[in-house]
Amino acid sequence: MNRNAGRIGLKRKKMKRRKNRIWYAAGFLLPGLAGVSLFYLLPFAEVVRRSFLQSASGRFVGVENYRQVFANQAFWRAVKNTAVFVGAGVPVLLLLSLAAALLLRKAVGSRKLLSALLVPMAVPAAVMVLLLQLLTDRSGLWNGLWKLQIDYMNTVWAVVIVLLAFWWKNTGYMAVLWLTGLASVPRELEEAAAVDGAGKWARLVCITLPQLSGSFFTILMLSILQSFKSYREIWMAAGNYPQENIYLLQHLLQNWYLKMEFDRMAALTVLLALLLLVFCFLLQRRLERE
Amino acid sequence: MKKRGISIAATVICLLLGMIICFPLLLIPGGSVTGTAELRRALAPVLQHSEGYADWQFLPLYPVLDHFRRLLSSPEFFRLFWNSVLMTGMVLAGQLLVGTPSAWSFASFCFRGRRLLFGIYIVLLLLPFQVMLLPQYLVLKQTGLYGRPAAIVLPMIFSTFPVFVMYQAFSQIDGDILDSARLDGAGEWNIFAKIGLPLGRMGIQSAVVLSFLECWNLVEQPMAFLEEQRYWPLALYLPQIGIGQAGYAFAVSIPVLIPAFFVYALGQDALIEGISVMAEKR
Repeated sequence: MNRNAGRIGLKRKKMKRRKNRIWYAAGFLLPGLAGVSLFYLLPFAEVVRRSFLQSASGRFVGVENYRQVFANQAFWRAVKNTAVFVGAGVPVLLLLSLAAALLLRKAVGSRKLLSALLVPMAVPAAVMVLLLQLLTDRSGLWNGLWKLQIDYMNTVWAVVIVLLAFWWKNTGYMAVLWLTGLASVPRELEEAAAVDGAGKWARLVCITLPQLSGSFFTILMLSILQSFKSYREIWMAAGNYPQENIYLLQHLLQNWYLKMEFDRMAALTVLLALLLLVFCFLLQRRLERE
Repeated sequence: MKKRGISIAATVICLLLGMIICFPLLLIPGGSVTGTAELRRALAPVLQHSEGYADWQFLPLYPVLDHFRRLLSSPEFFRLFWNSVLMTGMVLAGQLLVGTPSAWSFASFCFRGRRLLFGIYIVLLLLPFQVMLLPQYLVLKQTGLYGRPAAIVLPMIFSTFPVFVMYQAFSQIDGDILDSARLDGAGEWNIFAKIGLPLGRMGIQSAVVLSFLECWNLVEQPMAFLEEQRYWPLALYLPQIGIGQAGYAFAVSIPVLIPAFFVYALGQDALIEGISVMAEKR
């Protein structure tokens, strides 16, 4: 009784201070928000506006710029390649890192092993690309090992190389995230299932994995973010016009930028941002239902 | 007994995985002290597409320090190195100054539009740089920053990724602690500085480490917005050397690698902990 009264009093006090606290919240947030608006939000709004204009004349052209994007062949190739890269790269990365995390949990001295897996995070892209060239060149170390003569970066193999590099770089990062999720699975649940006679796999699939769904969405989001970032290595290894199967949407944007084709670029920018916005929205909805 | 077997097997597999992952890095130190002539012989097939294969010695027959001598005697290298250091330093300082309070605001206050705004921040951190390329180009042209180092530094300072990382750490702090501090009459600033910052320390450190690795590695931004080579960071210089001067390239990659590894080694615990916090259930 007494405790409740205390709580109600506390609430009232909280209400009083709430008005005041809005100003504090704004004070903490505004410097950052001002910069975010200036360098991200406002220019983005300007690009949305421009995507409906012809930049040379400033004339309103409706969806003409968008139509041009969709009529562009390179666009469709880039869409396909990006979908393949993200679609193959992210799920495999998730599985690979989950497996690593499950193994690490059982391993002795897992902290040291974890550090070894995280090392690629510290390797700058330029160094990584140098090593990649040395390994995958037509007369590189890998070919030398098997006495082959394949110019990997100029065949369909390029996709595999790029994916391997992506997995190499990010498995450790994602394993750390999975480990945290695993740490929050109550041991008692697993033990209870074990007592009830559930096998190892049954426990993993029915008890452990469902408990991970909370972490899953963050890990998925960060994996996708990392998959976008690997454009850097791809570009450094293969330049503006790489083998046609690794020509990504980022290449397309970059090349339109270099050619100053801002009309189409504006339309494509808006389309991609919209796609990610919808994706985030759906993710958020899923998270809330959890 | 069986349990022990599993754990040994798991350790061995992880060890193998770690070795595979770390293996390519072992090529660097050897490469950087291999003389040009020896390297040319070893890499001739790669360089001139002649017969045979590249043949790599982990340790050279005649270790030389030529490449390092060349590196240290070139004023260009030092300029690029300092460009990188300065750029990274300014971005990190700016992010701490601006991003920490933002994250705190999202984590410990309730205001209208908070969720929407945070959602926008998350979308912004997901956008690849190329999607922001045109918008940023427009604003940099408009403000006259285009072509100057500030064109890289300022947008990076307001990146929303560190805000996201620090938010995760701050939102783990027990709200009751903050409320009782408020009841005791602590001001909001004091609560932030004396409770928020110490308790969110790991998250802040990990945001710094992640940002450092990102900034030290900037390639696309300087490529797009800096025309003059004298402003370039080291990371952009390395790929220009090309495999033709592999020994020199390996030597240059060492000063690129060392700061990254240094920060990684120092901030490793924070990094692991900070990354972990991101996956924590709320």
